[in-house]
Amino acid sequence: MFKAFVDSILNFFRSLFWKQEMELTLVGLQGSGKTTLVNVISYGSFIEDTIPTIGFNMKKVTKGNVTIKLWDIGGQPRFRGMWERYCRGVNAIVFVIDAADKEKFEQSKQALHDLINKPPLANIPLLVVANKNDLPNAAGTDEIIQVLDLRSIEGREVCCYSISAKNSVNIDITLEWLVKHSSSISK
Amino acid sequence: MNKFGEKKDDDSESNSSELMLINLDKGQVIQEKRAFNETPVQPRKCSLVISQFLFLLARGDSFTPNEATDIFFAATKLFQSKDIPLRRLMYLLLKEFSTISKDAIIVISSLTKDVIHKIELYRANAIRILCKITDSSILPQLERYFKQAIVDKDPHVSSAALVSSIHLLKVSPEVVKRWANEVQESISNKSNMVQYHALALLHRIKQHDRLAVRKLVNSLIKNSVKSPYAQAYLIRCAVEVIEETHTEDRVYFEYIESCLRSKNEMVAYEAARSICSLKGATPKEITSAVGILQMFLCSTKSTLRFAAVRTLNKLAQTNPTAVIPCNLDMENLISDSNRSIATLAITTLLQVGNESNVDRLIKQIANFLGDINDEFKIVVVKAITNLSTKFPKKFRHLITFLNKILRDEGSLQLKQSTLDAILYVVNTIPDSKEIALSELCEFIEDCEFPDLSVQILNLLGQEGPLTNTPNKYIRYIYNRVLLDSGIIRAAAVTSIAKFGLLYEPMKEKIMILLKRCLLDEDDEVRDRATLYLSLFKEDNKRVLERVLIDDLPVPTQNLQRSLEAYLAQDDTTDPFDIGTVSTVLEQTQSPTISGKLSQTNQLGASSSPTNASTPGLSAAESVNQDLAKLAQIPQFATYGRVLKSTELVELTESESEYVVSCVKHIYKENIVFQFNCTNTLDEQRLDQVQVKMVPSNPKSMKNLGFMAIDQLKCNDPQSCYVSIGYNIQQAGYPIVSFTNTLKFKAVDVDPSTGEADDSGFDDQYPLERLEIVPSDFIQKTYTSNFKEEWEKLPDPPKPTCFQLLGVKTLKAATQEIISTLGMAPLDKTEQVPDKSQKHQILLSGKSIHTGTLIYAQARIKPDASGSNTDVALVVKSSDEDLIDFVYSAFI
Repeated sequence: MFKAFVDSILNFFRSLFWKQEMELTLVGLQGSGKTTLVNVISYGSFIEDTIPTIGFNMKKVTKGNVTIKLWDIGGQPRFRGMWERYCRGVNAIVFVIDAADKEKFEQSKQALHDLINKPPLANIPLLVVANKNDLPNAAGTDEIIQVLDLRSIEGREVCCYSISAKNSVNIDITLEWLVKHSSSISK
Repeated sequence: MNKFGEKKDDDSESNSSELMLINLDKGQVIQEKRAFNETPVQPRKCSLVISQFLFLLARGDSFTPNEATDIFFAATKLFQSKDIPLRRLMYLLLKEFSTISKDAIIVISSLTKDVIHKIELYRANAIRILCKITDSSILPQLERYFKQAIVDKDPHVSSAALVSSIHLLKVSPEVVKRWANEVQESISNKSNMVQYHALALLHRIKQHDRLAVRKLVNSLIKNSVKSPYAQAYLIRCAVEVIEETHTEDRVYFEYIESCLRSKNEMVAYEAARSICSLKGATPKEITSAVGILQMFLCSTKSTLRFAAVRTLNKLAQTNPTAVIPCNLDMENLISDSNRSIATLAITTLLQVGNESNVDRLIKQIANFLGDINDEFKIVVVKAITNLSTKFPKKFRHLITFLNKILRDEGSLQLKQSTLDAILYVVNTIPDSKEIALSELCEFIEDCEFPDLSVQILNLLGQEGPLTNTPNKYIRYIYNRVLLDSGIIRAAAVTSIAKFGLLYEPMKEKIMILLKRCLLDEDDEVRDRATLYLSLFKEDNKRVLERVLIDDLPVPTQNLQRSLEAYLAQDDTTDPFDIGTVSTVLEQTQSPTISGKLSQTNQLGASSSPTNASTPGLSAAESVNQDLAKLAQIPQFATYGRVLKSTELVELTESESEYVVSCVKHIYKENIVFQFNCTNTLDEQRLDQVQVKMVPSNPKSMKNLGFMAIDQLKCNDPQSCYVSIGYNIQQAGYPIVSFTNTLKFKAVDVDPSTGEADDSGFDDQYPLERLEIVPSDFIQKTYTSNFKEEWEKLPDPPKPTCFQLLGVKTLKAATQEIISTLGMAPLDKTEQVPDKSQKHQILLSGKSIHTGTLIYAQARIKPDASGSNTDVALVVKSSDEDLIDFVYSAFI
């Protein structure tokens, strides 16, 4: 009885010191699957009919002892100017791209480079997620790295994964990467 | 609201934060917004910053769009917090800044989540913000959330949704109209507020469909709405139905009457107010409404007393007898500590007053004069002045009363209004002249304001010589020369000289007095005395008259303006030419002498009482603007001065594409028609706009030309003119009506760029007819003894009888006759007693050309069918042409 009590107190203190928190912002063109990815991360399942995001959604997810705050920003052209406001000071920027929609690659590249070239966002790690790899003509990571010209990006950590939010492919390694970049905070 | 988890601050804490707010600096608070970005969010800190922003807004600080956008976006970070009080403040902040900030749509997605959140506070607040940032393109996507919220079982959420929908009706009415079923459902909600909001929204949704409104009101009257707010609103709807449909159905009246007995004061008041304003209310209904108001007059709540006395004041204007039962209670309110209530009580009492109790009333007011401040006294003075036209016989009491105010301690403003009032009474009631003059003589013996002394001396000089005993004023005036300062001495010298000119027997004595002034230490006084004396010695009456009596050839204000412009220019080698000064008379609001040392007489005969009685400054101002514009048009400069400008007549419906109204400016031998044109189409520009007038009787006048508008852009009103000439001696009064057409060249314009298409096409637009009526040539005058004047003039053979077609009520007929003739109604004959079967109107006026007096007596009664009015009109004047002209207006 007494031991259980001491344990619970110890756990409480441990959680205070080990609890980690991180903040991410998801951006990318409309229809690339940002809201779907958020839903998969938070509920672990794929939701069929997601409506276009007007503005942004805010989600808090706890994985292990890491609490992740997700800012999921709408991808329509009228919101792209506002991306920057939500990317300032986050632990990582997640750029989602529809790997099967080759016509929009050029547009994606433009939007990405416009965003990360903004001085306030210097040094923030960037994760590029090539979504929808379940579709037959989806591009692989190498092709994505090339079309988005990721090698030219300097001064920050850049990573690229090919995933499928629908089939939960590679979601785990994505999360792993993200958690690595969380900062521990002590209360 | 406590259920929303709002925590009460400790006393000490709220005090300290209050102190912090007083000297809040905007820039500093904007810096503080970084608290919103901190991780983790600190609710207490953020709440304080939001409060500070809200305080700045309430204080009236303005934020640039960029500042607002930064604040708005920073605040959106708080959507992550689960602290309810903080969320509540965040919603408030977002709502306030959503209209200033750019890209406020960023929060729509988050808000749509909150609209279906389990916490009521989130739902209600999210809806209120959504309503501010949605436009008609987004609303269809949000429709289902609104519908759901309207029928929400929480009253706060439902109310928020209903009120927001009222706002959204302006954004996209079609979408909101689809929610009528949900709104109907929430009318039966238990909450008072929801019922009220639902009714208000439903009424607005159906507003343009009279039948639907009537149905709605019918069903709700039967179901007896419980919420007092909704009841009050329903009363207003019922009033609307009665007024718009002219229904004979008494069911609406019965409902309103039943509400009089409501326990809720607001409902009872609303019902009473409505009954008082409704034309079709029966005397019994009005009596019970007044009974309720009377009860409120004695209430301990000042709002109720105010509301009641205000309503009674309005009622007294149309139905003075109905208010009489409340007289005693209103007399008690004269000493009310709330000044608005007391003012209304007095003005109402004076309105209700009749010949018999006016004396008592004035005495009563005099008793408490000492307790009230100057501003309020001015209100009393104005009310008293109005009495003079109503009860000309009471002038003695009025003058004594006004004089008492003039003598008591008071500000210049109060004294000036009082003096204006006395001058007005003197002008309108000639009989009051002597008593007023002798009272004023006493007053200047001990007057601390030189301005007033000068005005009074001027009046004495002008009116004194014409009284029966001019001698008695001289002593008072000469005393001023001995005792007062330079300005007053100069005015006194002029005044004395006028006696010498106007009252022959005193001429010698006047010359002696003037001689004594020759050694005055003030230049102006000496100059004047020397000038007058030498003119008297030469017995040069013509020049004396010009100097003392005649107006300057131009109005003083115009002369002053021209002189100022002359002095402002660099080159003053050319002498000033008085010929360049505009001669158009600018009417002054009060019959006060405007120039302090000017030798002009704007007082008395030259300033007409109609000007002084023009209610509201705006009408007079717009006339002044018109006249100033006219004066700048060289074509009309030779016409002399404007004798009269008529009231505005609309020649189109107010919502038509082109809106045109007309003002007639009457000159001695010309009439200038000023057409105010407004183009309401933004895709069109009108070039060369003019009005083509076709007279019914071309012989009585000649067309002298027109002035077109070069370019008439959308919503930029301009005026075009048509001028005609007439000659009463040769062709008689111009009895004529005109058929009018607006002619123009329409040029298409791209509304977005403002670029005009080169090719235009000629087009025209029909306007209403326009007539020359007697009122164009007649000015109102007041007389205190109509009977005497009437008897003096020869009787016409017999009265002229005619019918006013389609005029059903005596009131309407009275209005029509008064406005057509443009004469002043006497002895309160403009008011038709209720229920009377016939009525007699007494009118007096004078010709604007010759000043010939004209009187009219009209007996009216409804004809057998009840849809027309029979009139027997007798007009008397020494000018036969004028009589014929007046008759011609009706036959």
